[in-house]
Amino acid sequence: MSESISPAIEPKPGHRVPAPAVHEDADHGGHDEHGHGAGPHLAHHFDTYQQQFDAGKLGIWLFLLTEVLFFSGLFCAYTVYRGMHPEVFVYAHYFLNTTMGAINTCVLLVSSLTAAWAVRNAQLAQRKLLVLNIAITIACACTFMVVKFFEYQHKFHDGLLPGPAFHPTEQVWELDAFKKKHPEAAEYAEKLTQLAEHKGDVSAVAGAIDLTRPVTGKFERPTEAQLEPLLKAGVIGPAAEDTTRPSKPRNAHVFFSIYFFMTGLHGIHVLAGIGVWVWLGIRANKGQFGPKYFGPIDYSALYWHLVDLVWIYLFPLLYLIH
Amino acid sequence: MANDDTPQNAEQPKSMQGSSEETPTIAPEDDATAPNPAFEPTEQDEPEQDEQADAVSEDPQQGHEKHEDHGLAHTMPIWMMLAVLGALMALTILTVSVTSFDLGSEGNLVVAMVIATIKAGLVVTFFMHLFWDKKFHLILFLTAVLFVILFLSMSITDRGEYQHNIDLYTNATTPAVGK
Repeated sequence: MSESISPAIEPKPGHRVPAPAVHEDADHGGHDEHGHGAGPHLAHHFDTYQQQFDAGKLGIWLFLLTEVLFFSGLFCAYTVYRGMHPEVFVYAHYFLNTTMGAINTCVLLVSSLTAAWAVRNAQLAQRKLLVLNIAITIACACTFMVVKFFEYQHKFHDGLLPGPAFHPTEQVWELDAFKKKHPEAAEYAEKLTQLAEHKGDVSAVAGAIDLTRPVTGKFERPTEAQLEPLLKAGVIGPAAEDTTRPSKPRNAHVFFSIYFFMTGLHGIHVLAGIGVWVWLGIRANKGQFGPKYFGPIDYSALYWHLVDLVWIYLFPLLYLIH
Repeated sequence: MANDDTPQNAEQPKSMQGSSEETPTIAPEDDATAPNPAFEPTEQDEPEQDEQADAVSEDPQQGHEKHEDHGLAHTMPIWMMLAVLGALMALTILTVSVTSFDLGSEGNLVVAMVIATIKAGLVVTFFMHLFWDKKFHLILFLTAVLFVILFLSMSITDRGEYQHNIDLYTNATTPAVGK
């Protein structure tokens, strides 16, 4: 840092000390105390635009550092829980819409491009392009939130809520995503459920899904294709909530707590970003940014890229569980 | 010299306190800048900005003022931004399509995380300008990453330590198999 600060400090004595012979100082003498000593956007506590820009840049990087650590708490929760209960993540990922996640990933990437482009526009004083790029960034961010809204709405409708509110209206093997991937296992789970419900043949069903016990006469030994996906998703086996029939894994609701907290915190960041970009769009439209003063655009773009960065990790971790 | 210095050093603070009065050491500097009525502090930085100025001055639309062809930071060319976006999109398609292949229980997660890290690297290096930026900002960012890694690895290690107790608890509280 010292290298960047020292050249900026140097002109201080020469600039601040009034010298009657210099015309420049006569101009600025009157309002030097209240800022804008050397230009409309140079705050009075900075000597040069370079110093002002560097100070802001350091500030935003320190903020991003805290943001990374802020999000890391939730990533830690995710990692620990996935390590403990991999079946819960396999179970839950059938409920998530990969297409919507992928669309949102692309939308955020495009908005990252326009944000980076906006910085270039501000640096080159291209006012119209700057406003356009900010507008596209805002539009992408809003698209992201709209997609997120429909995702959340769908989850609420299906009872996929965090904590004690978690009451899924559909069993995992009834979902299209599961049926498409493991048709045999879905059929098998369906058969066992019907048997347990309608015929009350609890003991036979329990025997069929408990691999440690011999299979009774009613069932043939299930094939691996029938059993393995169910075991991995915690529908049957040691991780299942109910040992007498196909069910869901214990603590499946914890996944949705993690899901809503991670995507929710990220969504709040996107909303904050929209607010910042709207404000900057208005300022950009007034032509306030140029080669010497584009810090706010640059800093906001950095923040926006970090939000994108978090989503780059969230997408595979939440939507692409194998 | 040693004898001369002592009284000077003792006097300096006094003259500094005496409001706007100038010390002898500053006076020559002031004289040098005084003849230039258009003096602006940013001029001081110009020699350092020469290598960065090239990127800016490519563009015909730039700067309407004399000093503005020297930017405060690197300007990224458009082709580079589009190339980075293309790479990010391609990697997104790759990471989605790779999930349909079974690479073992850990394999898919590792591949997904490697691809995500490459994408993150592209964003940080180019979109976030760290390639051209001050190395101190890179150090700041890597410090955050380092601490996240420390945080996660310690948490995972710790979890491994008490897994046995969790298993005991789970087995004790699980209802018996239907008999």
